[in-house]
Amino acid sequence: MSRTGFCDSRQLLDLHMTEDRQAPLRVWANSCILRERRVFAEGDEVGSVHHCKPAQESRWVRRLSISAEDGIIMDYAPQDESDVYEEEALLQYLNRLPGPPSLRDLVPGLLRREVEVAISKLGLLYDQTYAWDIFLDMMRSQLLCTLPNADLPKPFTDTTRAILVDWLTQVHEVFQFSEETLYLAVHLLNRALRLIKVSISGLQLLGVVCLFLAAKKEECLLPEVSELCYLMENTYSKKQLLRMERRVLIGLKFDLYYCLPLHFLLITASIARCSDKWVWMARYLLELSLLERQCVVFLPSQLAGAALRLARRILQEAPTPDGETAWCIASSIHIGSEAALLSIMQIMAMAAARAHTRETRATFIKFSTIQTLHVSMHPALKAAPGFLGLSCPRI
Amino acid sequence: MEQESVVQYEPVAEIGGGAYGTVYKARDRDSGQFVALKSVRVQTNQDGLPLSTVREVALLKRLEQFDHPNIVRLMDVCATLRTDQETKVTLVFEHVDQDLRTYLEKVPAPGLPIQQIRDLMQQLLCGLAFLHSNRVLHRDLKPENILVTSRGQVKLADFGLARIYSCHMVLTPVVVTLWYRCPEVLLQTTYATPVDIWSTGCIFAEMFRRTPLFCGESEVDQLGKIFAVIGLPSEEEWPNDVTLSRQNFSPQNPQPITDCVPEISEKGAELLLEMLTFDPLKRISAFNALDHPFFTE
Repeated sequence: MSRTGFCDSRQLLDLHMTEDRQAPLRVWANSCILRERRVFAEGDEVGSVHHCKPAQESRWVRRLSISAEDGIIMDYAPQDESDVYEEEALLQYLNRLPGPPSLRDLVPGLLRREVEVAISKLGLLYDQTYAWDIFLDMMRSQLLCTLPNADLPKPFTDTTRAILVDWLTQVHEVFQFSEETLYLAVHLLNRALRLIKVSISGLQLLGVVCLFLAAKKEECLLPEVSELCYLMENTYSKKQLLRMERRVLIGLKFDLYYCLPLHFLLITASIARCSDKWVWMARYLLELSLLERQCVVFLPSQLAGAALRLARRILQEAPTPDGETAWCIASSIHIGSEAALLSIMQIMAMAAARAHTRETRATFIKFSTIQTLHVSMHPALKAAPGFLGLSCPRI
Repeated sequence: MEQESVVQYEPVAEIGGGAYGTVYKARDRDSGQFVALKSVRVQTNQDGLPLSTVREVALLKRLEQFDHPNIVRLMDVCATLRTDQETKVTLVFEHVDQDLRTYLEKVPAPGLPIQQIRDLMQQLLCGLAFLHSNRVLHRDLKPENILVTSRGQVKLADFGLARIYSCHMVLTPVVVTLWYRCPEVLLQTTYATPVDIWSTGCIFAEMFRRTPLFCGESEVDQLGKIFAVIGLPSEEEWPNDVTLSRQNFSPQNPQPITDCVPEISEKGAELLLEMLTFDPLKRISAFNALDHPFFTE
C-alpha cells in the first residue's frame, strides 16, 4: 500500500488542520496583516509596518513557488507578475541553499504546479492565477462539509435512506443533471434530515426538494415543479413542494455550499495520470458511497482518495515508473489518518461487492454501460473486501 | 414556525431608505446585539423561490465562511411567506453606526492625515480584492455603504445585493446616485470588476477633498464632468456598441489631477489616475492597487 504523507506532507497537514480561520485566499494573507496592523493603527505608528511582510501562510506558499522555479522544473506556470519580492527572495533562497534541493523540498512545489494544471484542465475556474488559492480553499472548506456523526433521526433507517438516495439517482438521470447536482443534493438531504422534522411520508418530498435546490444552484435548466410532482405520482401537491422548499432553505439558512468529493477525485486523478478505467472505477465507488450512511462523517478529500486507492487495488494495472511517481505526488493531497482511509475503503468494498444484488441498483446500472467502460461489472469487485482483509458477503 | 426567526429581531429604528427599500436597525432578542435588517420581497412563481435569489443568498452565506475583516458580517437569513406569490427574504447584517460619509463629515478642518487615508484605502481594497476573487461585484460602492467602526475598521456592506434586488423587486422611485458610476456603466456597455475600482478612485479623491469628485445630475452631465478632469477619450478608446456618440462631448485635454485633489501625494496621484482610467481593461485591479508604491511611500 502506498503511503500517504510521502515526503513530509506534515506541512500540508498543519496548514489545513491547525489554522482556525477558514480563509485561505491570498487576499486573506493581506487582511491578516491588516488585522495585526490594527493594533498599531490605534496609536500613531502606521507607516512603519508595510505589506511586504507576508503572513506565515503566504510565506510558505511563496517559498514553494520559488523552489519550483529554480530551473529544475522546466514548464512552471508563470506567477503573478505583481510579485515584486520574488526575485529578491529567490536570491536569498539560493544563497541559503547548500546543494541541490532534496526531493523533500521539491514535492510541495511540484504538487502546487500539478494542482494548478489539474484545476485548469477541469475548467473549475476562469483564471489560473487563483488555482492554488482555490485548492487551498477547498482543502479548508471541506472541514465544514462533514457531519459530526452518522446517526439518522428516529423513524428513518439505513434502508429508507438508501432507497431514497437510489430514487434520487434515478430522477437525477431522467433530467440529465450534472454529477455535481447529485452529490450536492445528497449532501443537502443529509443535513436537512437532521434540521427538519419530517414524517416517513414526507421523506420523499424532502428528497426531491433537496434535488430541486441543488439543481437551482448547479443547473441551467430547471425541471418544472409539476414534473417533479408527477414523478412522485402526485402524492404531494405543487404547493406542498414549494412550502417544503422554503422550510429547507430556512432550515439550512440558505447555506447550499458543498465541497464536492467528485472534484477532489478528478483533481487527484489528473495529477496521478490515472487511466480512464481507473477514473471510472473510482467514480463508481465514490457514487456508491452516497448510499452509505456512515460515509457522511468523512471529509470529501478522504472519500475521493479512498475511492481512487480502492479502484487501483481492484484494477491491478501494470505499474510504470512515471505512473508510480505521479501517484506518490497525488497521494500527498490526502489528509486525515490511514485508519479513516481504510474504513472508507472497507465500506466501499462491501458496497461494491453487494451492489448487483441490492434493491438499490441505480448506480450499479448507471456504471454498467459502455460509456462508463462497464466498471460496475468488473469481476474483481466481488472479491474487493478480500483485498482489505474482510470476508466477502455471501450472495 | 416560519415567523419565528423574524420575531427574534425587534425593530428599533428606520435607518435610511436604501435604493432597494427600507433598512431597519433592530435588536437581536437573544444576544442583545444591534443588527441591520434588509428585506427584499421576491415574487414566488410556480418554480418556487427564483434561482437567482437562491444562488446569490447562498453565495453571501459562502463568503461569510471566510470571516473577512473588511466585509460586513451576514448573521442570519430569514424567509417568510407573505402571500402565495410573494416571499420576504430578510438578510440580517451586523450593525455598524457610522459610514464613511458621516466619518468624513466629522473630520476637523485640515482634513484626514495621509496615513489615515492610506490605512482606510488599504482596508477598502482588501475587502474589494476579496469580493473580486470570489467573483462578486459590488456595483454600488459609495461612502454610504462603506462602514467604519469606532476602531477605524473598514467594512464593505451591500455587496452582491444589487443582483438579488434588480430582477425581482417592484421598482421604487428612489434616485440612485450617479457620482461613483464609471464611464462604461454610464455608457451602458458591458462591465465587470473594474466598475468597483472606478468608484474606489472617486472615494479615494473624496477622502482628501471631503466633497465628492464628480457630482453629475444626469448620465450625460456625469460623463461631461468626468471628461473635464480625465480628458475626452480618443476615438479609438470610445466603445463601439454605445448609443451615445463621442461627438456629444466637447474635446478636452486631461487636467492635472492635483488641481482637483491638491492635498494628494505624488504616489497617491499616480494610483488615483490608474483607478480613474477610462478603459476598464487598463484600469488597475484591486490586487495590483494593494501593491502600489502609494502604500509604502
